[in-house]
Order: sequence, then C-alpha cells, then structure tokens
Amino acid sequence: MSGVESLYPFLYSGVSDVEAVLADVTRSTLEKSEEITRLRADVLELYRGRLIECARAMARSFAAGGRLFAFGNGGSSTDAQAVVELFQNPGAPARPLPAEALATDIAVLSALANDVSFDVVFARPLAASGRAGDIAVGLSTSGGSANVLRAFEEATRRGMLTIGLAGYDGGKMAEADTIDHLFVMPSSSVHRIQEAQTTTYNTLWELTQLALGTPGSAQAQQ
Amino acid sequence: MIAELTGQQVDQLFARRTDPTTALGQDAEEVGRACYDMALRFHRGGRLVCFGNGSAAADAAHIVVEFVHPVIVGKRALPAVSLANDAATMSGITRRGGFEDSFAAQLRLQAAPEDIALGISTDGDCPNVARALIAARDAGLLTVALVGGDGGQISRITGLDHVLVAHSEDPRVVKEVHVTTYHVLWELVHVFFEQPGVLDPKVVR
Repeated sequence: MSGVESLYPFLYSGVSDVEAVLADVTRSTLEKSEEITRLRADVLELYRGRLIECARAMARSFAAGGRLFAFGNGGSSTDAQAVVELFQNPGAPARPLPAEALATDIAVLSALANDVSFDVVFARPLAASGRAGDIAVGLSTSGGSANVLRAFEEATRRGMLTIGLAGYDGGKMAEADTIDHLFVMPSSSVHRIQEAQTTTYNTLWELTQLALGTPGSAQAQQ
Repeated sequence: MIAELTGQQVDQLFARRTDPTTALGQDAEEVGRACYDMALRFHRGGRLVCFGNGSAAADAAHIVVEFVHPVIVGKRALPAVSLANDAATMSGITRRGGFEDSFAAQLRLQAAPEDIALGISTDGDCPNVARALIAARDAGLLTVALVGGDGGQISRITGLDHVLVAHSEDPRVVKEVHVTTYHVLWELVHVFFEQPGVLDPKVVR
C-alpha cells in the first residue's frame, strides 16, 4: 500500500459512499493536527536557545535603526509577506518595526527574472537597499532555493544579520556559511514544514518584542 | 537596552499553540464536510475565490498557490484566485467605493454562482470580508469562512455554508491554525476529487 492508500483506504476500495470517505478524511485531519503539535515540540527542543539568541540579535538590529527584508518563493513568499505585515502592523501594545517583502514588487521581480535570471530576484534588491545591520529573513521549505541562497550571500557581503527557515534536512541552506541563525523544521511534509515555520517566525517576532521591552500579545493573553 | 529572555518564555509561547491545534482535530468532521462541498463545486467547474486583510491577505495568496500549483507531483491544478493581490485594484476600489466594498465589488464582477468564496479573518470582524461573503451567499456561491476568537460578525451572518473557527484569542495562533486548516482543505478536496463516485450527482445528499 502506498502512503496515500493507507491514509484513505476507501479511496481505493471502489466504495463510493460519501459518509465512508468523510470518516476517512476526518481521521486524517485529526492525525495532521497531532503531527503538527509533535513537530512544534521537536522544533522547541532543537531551537529553544537559538530562538532566544536570534530574537535578541534582531532586537539589537531594530534598536540600532535596522530594517528587516523577507523573501521566499511560492507559499514561502506569502510567509515573507506575513512576516513583514506582522513586524510592521502588530497592533497595540506591540511596537511597529520597519520591514519589506521582496517578492511583492512584481515590476522589480519580473524585470530581474526576465532580464537577468530568477536566481537574482532577491539578491539584487538587497544589494540596492540592504545596509550593514539590517536583517535578512529567507524561507525555503527544501532549503535549496537558488534565489534565496544568493540573497543570503549578498546579505552576508553587506554585513546584514541573516536568518533562514528551512525544512527536511535543511538542504543547501544547512551547508551555507552565510546564515547566522538557521531553523530547520525536521519534517518531510511541505505543509507541516510551513506550519512549523509560521510558528517559528511568530515566536521570533514575539521574542523580539519582549527583548525590546515592548510586549507583543503576551499581555493580551493574561 | 536589550532584555534578557528565558527558555521558560519560549516554552510558554509554544504551549499557547497546543490547545487550539487540538481543537482543530476535534472539528475534523466539519472540515471534511467543507472539503466535500468544495470538491463538488470544483467538479462542476467552479473556481476558488479567496480574500482577507493583512496577514490573511498573505494566506489568501498562499491558498491560491496551493490549488494552482500543488506541492505534490501528479495532483491536478484547480482554478483559484485571490482578490487581495492587486494593490492597484484594491486601492482604486477602496478609494471610490470605500474599504467595506473592496472585495465584494471584485467578487460581484468576477465570480460565477458555481464558484467558492473563501474569506479569512483572524477575529471575524473584517467588514470587507463579511460583505464579500454576504455577496457570495446571495449570488449562490459556496461560502467558507476561516475565523478566530469568538467568530466576530462573520459568525453571525446567516446562511453561510461553512464557518470554521480557530479557537484562540491570539491572532498569531489563529493564523497558524488557519494555515493547517487550509493545507488540510487542499489535501482533502483532492481526496474527494479523486473519487469521482462520491462527486456524481446521484450520491450527493
């Protein structure tokens, strides 16, 4: 039986009963909610100390006038947008912090992809705007996105703080010497990796706020 | 001055995720029924129309890329669009018709009755998401809402087909539950979609 077959036996049994398939998918959803909870626990054990170190470095950067740049492809580009929206527009009492998502400017992105190569679509804007002390946050579920790796090289050249979120075994991002703080979600599911990455950047944001002395949603929770 | 942080603080942040994620597992059947209805709409040629504000606008874009360019090789592309991607259109409509109409105006122009409207709002109180869901309901679309907290004004709209609530007051945690929810929505729509027998009108109940 393939993985999919064992998850949804009715799919392959010739049974076309809606309730039976619903029972299958209900069980599958429950399993997924348990899977992401286990993965978050793994990430916490692996990176508790690293999250603190990284958030304090981000707080130092913002306190010194740094800006955050976030980038990724596909679903990760939307995560980059979410990171930027979170830092810039967190709601009171948290402190808004300057950030920019590199995949949202379609004119720049398509110009570079069309005229040069897709590999430079994030590195070039960083070369233009990034300054020493700024923050580069790159997301890639595989850890192998060439344009994300190129952006980390450029960010390092410019003296930026570099933060990477990856999955699987970290891929080329795990081999790169251009990423100061790397968080690898130990999973082989793209979906669970993205979900754990979301928790990771949300947590980094909240810890950054705490390090700056401005509570995020911590107060609202009490 | 950068404050010290403790491992206990990190543990507390992660712990905040556990109960709302468990609650999603408890709502699994409701999620499954939403997926079945979505699969029926795709089967009839419908398109998925997503919308949300702020972080939820990024989620809308994320959902679209899940459906149009599946991460699992061999899954077919399904039609989907986000109404939040085009800053020129969004700001143009907002200027002329007001913020509350920013999604409904686009939906009225672009959507067909067989389509699916998927609105995302972390607290359920986004007036433009609410208005677009009402417009979708009135036009006969399948309506699905992802909300959080107490569900806000969106949960009080009558006649929506599926309102899935992430059980947390923290908008960051709500978002994380939403990400898992729409990943599951995508996967389960394909489970139904690959079983044409259950999408055949004669077994529809």
